[in-house]
Amino acid sequence: MQFTKKLAATALATVLALPAFANDAPVALIIAQGGLGDGSWNDTANAGFTAGLAKTGLEGRAIESNDVTAQGEEIMRRAADAGFGLVISLEWIHGEAMQKLAPDYPDTDWVIMNQTREGANIASVVFGEHEGSYLAGALAAQVTTDTSIPGINADPVIGVIGAVKAPGIDKFIAGYIEGAKAINPDITVKVAYAESFGDPAKGEQMAKSMFDEGADIIYHVAGGTGIGIIKAAKDSGHYAIGVDTDQDAMAPGHVLTSMVKRVDVAVEQILTDYKDDKFPGGTVMQFGLAQDGVGLSPMTYTKDLIPPAYLEKVAALKADIIDGKIKVWDVSTQGYPDFFK
Amino acid sequence: MADVRFGKLAESVVSLALPFVVAALVAGVLLLAIGENPLAIFGLMAEESFGSARRIASTLSAATPLLFTATATAICFRSGVFNVGVEGAFLTGGLAAIFVGYAAPASLGVVLIPLAMLAGAVVGAIWLWFPGWLLARWQVDEVVSTLMLNFIAAALTGYLINGPMLSPASGNNVTPPIHDAAELVRLMPPSTLHAGFLIGLLVLTLYGLWCRYTPAGFEAALVGLNRRFSRAMGISVGGTVIAVMVLSGVIAGLGGASHGLGQLYRFSDGFSPGYGFTGMAVALLGRNNPLGMLIGAVFFGALASAGTTIQLFSNIPLDLVDIIQGLVMIFAVMQIALPRLRKGAAHV
Repeated sequence: MQFTKKLAATALATVLALPAFANDAPVALIIAQGGLGDGSWNDTANAGFTAGLAKTGLEGRAIESNDVTAQGEEIMRRAADAGFGLVISLEWIHGEAMQKLAPDYPDTDWVIMNQTREGANIASVVFGEHEGSYLAGALAAQVTTDTSIPGINADPVIGVIGAVKAPGIDKFIAGYIEGAKAINPDITVKVAYAESFGDPAKGEQMAKSMFDEGADIIYHVAGGTGIGIIKAAKDSGHYAIGVDTDQDAMAPGHVLTSMVKRVDVAVEQILTDYKDDKFPGGTVMQFGLAQDGVGLSPMTYTKDLIPPAYLEKVAALKADIIDGKIKVWDVSTQGYPDFFK
Repeated sequence: MADVRFGKLAESVVSLALPFVVAALVAGVLLLAIGENPLAIFGLMAEESFGSARRIASTLSAATPLLFTATATAICFRSGVFNVGVEGAFLTGGLAAIFVGYAAPASLGVVLIPLAMLAGAVVGAIWLWFPGWLLARWQVDEVVSTLMLNFIAAALTGYLINGPMLSPASGNNVTPPIHDAAELVRLMPPSTLHAGFLIGLLVLTLYGLWCRYTPAGFEAALVGLNRRFSRAMGISVGGTVIAVMVLSGVIAGLGGASHGLGQLYRFSDGFSPGYGFTGMAVALLGRNNPLGMLIGAVFFGALASAGTTIQLFSNIPLDLVDIIQGLVMIFAVMQIALPRLRKGAAHV
């Protein structure tokens, strides 16, 4: 009896002692081009980083550089040499360098975003933009024929403008089309590419002509070009759908919703996993609807315009995707579907 | 005689160091104001810049593009041609070299390197020949034309990597990576210091020799000193202007090629964070002198490299480094102006 008790106590002590194996080495977050204060990708990630540090008690630093493209490798190596246990880079271009240098630092954990890199100590973070875009498409397809909503015509025509024709962009577009067709199989989704991430004037022009052709809602997957698309929606009294961050406030009442990527959720999750010694090295971390890694904005300015039944339908679709009842097409892993070549 | 030489040397050392000293003083006051110990921070910066072989390599790696852009700027400045278009030639030359690096058949092997460098030099040369010709033939102000060409270069390269040269394998606007054989060798792996640094030193040396020992280099300096006199001496001022612009383009294009083949291996947004403009500051600081520019480039490289990595060990924001860099530039330019004022006063 005594022995059993002792054994139980030892077992308990072992369990309690586990946190001692957790990681305490400091963590670094490398800020991407655009820097802190971009009101978007970097700031959102940094917010998650700060929250994660507060939650875990880890020590960590955000690193900015004026020349983040060329200095990436030096920064990453310096951080690892200096004893940082986890290095997260927000800069897309660092992926290749990270894959090459990570084997030199087996004791450091590495994280790269929006791409898949191989390595036992690298975790790749990928967002389920196709899933979030599906919901945006489903919402737009319901709204586009409801003439009781100001600025909406009776035609089942919606639009989407991408920055460039590339799998990373078409992942959004295909999801949007699939979501729209789930509501109305006969809907027309106009697709166009601005050939630029940073040309608001062109975005505005393209959106205007798309509105003239009968579309009343345009989803933009076009970075800075999208600012012009949102402006066109405001000027013409129609609607845009924002992307990446909550852009609803850019033209209150004219941004139907935004498909947000919760990079803050991802960063905070990674810090927690790292602290608990559960760093998912060698895996691709999916941040989709189920992980709250993507989703629609709270629709602060438009939720009163939209009939509640539409939002309930969107919520039901979201639940179906999370349950696996609906599998949204992912261009980045599955190639192009029949409904969108 | 020896005293005069020593006096001159001392003067150039002071003129090179003074902007840094003044900038350091101002930055020190700023650091005190935000409650940091300036000596500790400067010590950290010195250690991150030059504290070990690896840190020195990192500094030299950051200085490499500046060797090219400073020389490209100086070769025009000393002829009185205020070419601010080195940035544009760096971008277009860099993209040309990278295009050859990935589009030419990989079977060419190491021949890819000279081929790509040549492409960078030729495109850079053409890029700056045009404003040179406009200036020589039509007296089109070179500051305006070269500045405008920078915008065109940024837009053009941005369009190309977004369209015709976009990598099919990525969602970001980047070109495909260059072939392995086209990559410049690294000098001190794992540091990113690459053979482009040696090419930069070679270019800087050749520039120094050209200035000092060739008739063309001498004539180019004369044109900078006095155009009317040069014309009276039978020197073709227009020809010299075009020549230095083309040479500047060649050097800037080589710089872009070296950066592409040695550092980034592909072209992406942010290929140059403004090396052309920092190079201009280095040329002013070093007064177009090869040794002065070498020191200036290493200092700016140190600021860029250490300014980033000190953030791993302190709460100093990047803005402080930007402030130091800006102050050094201002004082470097002031120093150029001051002796002229003094000279002017002496004549009165």
